[in-house]
Amino acid sequence: METDLSEKTFVVTGATSGIGLAAAAALVRRGAAVIGVGRSPERCRLATRQLSALQPSARVDYLTADLSVQGEVRNLAVQIQTLLAVQGKTALDGLLNNAGTYVHWLTLTPDGVELQWAVNHLAPFLLSCLLLPLLQSAPTARIVTVSSASHYGSRINWSDPQLRRCYNGLRAYGNTKLANVLFTQALNRRLAPAAAVRAFAADPGLVKTDIALKGTPPLVNWIWKIRRSGGLSPAASAAGIVFLLTEPGIQNAPADYWKHGQPRQPSRAASDPAAGDRLWALSERMCGFQLEVNHDSVR
Amino acid sequence: MTQFADRATRPSYVAISGAAGGLGKAFAVECASRGWDLFLTDLSAAPLEQLAVSLRNAYSVKVAVQACDLTDAAARANLFEQIRASGLHFWALINVAGLDYEGLFYQQTSRQIQTIIRLNIEGTLDMTHSLLEYRDPLQVFRIINVSSLAAFYPMPVKATYAASKRFLLDFSRALSQELRGLGVTVTVLCPAGMPTTSACIQSIQAQGWMGQITTCDVGRVANQTLNAALAGRGLVIPGLVNQLLQTLGGLVPAPLVAALIGRRWKSAHQKRALAQHLVESWPAVPGA
Repeated sequence: METDLSEKTFVVTGATSGIGLAAAAALVRRGAAVIGVGRSPERCRLATRQLSALQPSARVDYLTADLSVQGEVRNLAVQIQTLLAVQGKTALDGLLNNAGTYVHWLTLTPDGVELQWAVNHLAPFLLSCLLLPLLQSAPTARIVTVSSASHYGSRINWSDPQLRRCYNGLRAYGNTKLANVLFTQALNRRLAPAAAVRAFAADPGLVKTDIALKGTPPLVNWIWKIRRSGGLSPAASAAGIVFLLTEPGIQNAPADYWKHGQPRQPSRAASDPAAGDRLWALSERMCGFQLEVNHDSVR
Repeated sequence: MTQFADRATRPSYVAISGAAGGLGKAFAVECASRGWDLFLTDLSAAPLEQLAVSLRNAYSVKVAVQACDLTDAAARANLFEQIRASGLHFWALINVAGLDYEGLFYQQTSRQIQTIIRLNIEGTLDMTHSLLEYRDPLQVFRIINVSSLAAFYPMPVKATYAASKRFLLDFSRALSQELRGLGVTVTVLCPAGMPTTSACIQSIQAQGWMGQITTCDVGRVANQTLNAALAGRGLVIPGLVNQLLQTLGGLVPAPLVAALIGRRWKSAHQKRALAQHLVESWPAVPGA
């Protein structure tokens, strides 16, 4: 059963291609208003045109932000709030933390943070925390973060969580995807049980996207092209993610980690509350931000 | 043990030039993660401020910043005056600021060539000379100069740059002897190209497999170099392949090395120039 989404608004990051664009398209088709986030103004314009063509009556807006820069994430949260206010809305119904990246070499952002750690973990952490008041203003809301099966076998090295001293692109990627699951569970613990806002982590499966083709060596490109050839289409993968964003029946489901609309068991390292709390404290320190959850908010 | 007690009560900083660039930033982050207070300088203020805010949050260290054009003697004098006035003392100096305009000597402008010399040589010498004056007398003073693997050979296509780095290599080795016994160590870092900017990554890709195997990540280099400096080691060449290249390079006569490197670099340079030309001449592809 597909519920009507015509009164709802969702923020989707990394929404100009791949899973993000497909998820945005699925939401728009069901009548939802979508605020897409992308890095390039040109690709944002193109995506706006594509989505508007699907559903001419739909409300589609794109905001540009480089999520590797904390200042831009903060600025984005303000822009989202302003945009909603202009549209006469006071609440947000869902946030899809989809934007992710892969890099082969250690790259430090202007904030001095390893690029994958910044984009794949800190940006979802900070954006979710900053948008939480808006999400708490909705009757029920979801925060879905796109993790990956790469988190299996990963373990955060607490003496060097960003792997600066012994960088390996794939290990760093797996660590950030483990961080996504730990973050999701830690967030759910911080929101009261049966809270209006519920967080989920999604395994998108192996999807035909260009994630490992951007600035990576020829060998990595080649391996990824072979791997992804057996993968899902972005639309098929997005269906499971949109389910997590919109399905009313799972608001209080016990599972935090899902694949294709089915609950899955994340790795043991991803299920460790102590690690989640440690990650939470580290993330707060790295963002210079402390979350204060207001439990009295509207239900 | 008294050293730790003194450090706790008396602020003593690590100075890093070129701190907003790839390697400089890696040094800044590595030092901050070790709990060391920092004094950072680079050409422009905004990126330094941004990095400083983040390092203060993440690692609870003190970070002072001061923008300075190190190619300009008057700007340097002003920087040293600011340091004097602020009363800062230092227990380490990491001279990272340096640049190259890649290209053939006769195609570079004379201004570009002067800038290479002014930043890589004059800036480094002046920073070293002045900061020695403001060193913390209670601690061993650690100097790290960033030279390059290019320092070991005459390098066609990077002629001025490589020679400037050779200057820093020889200077560092000589200074190390001069200051021996005075509580000052000098470590010279000679890395191969590092993947710090998309231009550097392109340059590494253009060198093919050779670029791949000689490349070391900046984080590893910064960590390894700081450990070496604390141990008082004189020379750091990150990467086994690079150490091998340096050893082999020493066995072969310099003119032959120059000819071999010239062939490799000229072809890499041409490939990059061609790629650049193709990118610029193609119409923009929607969605690409």
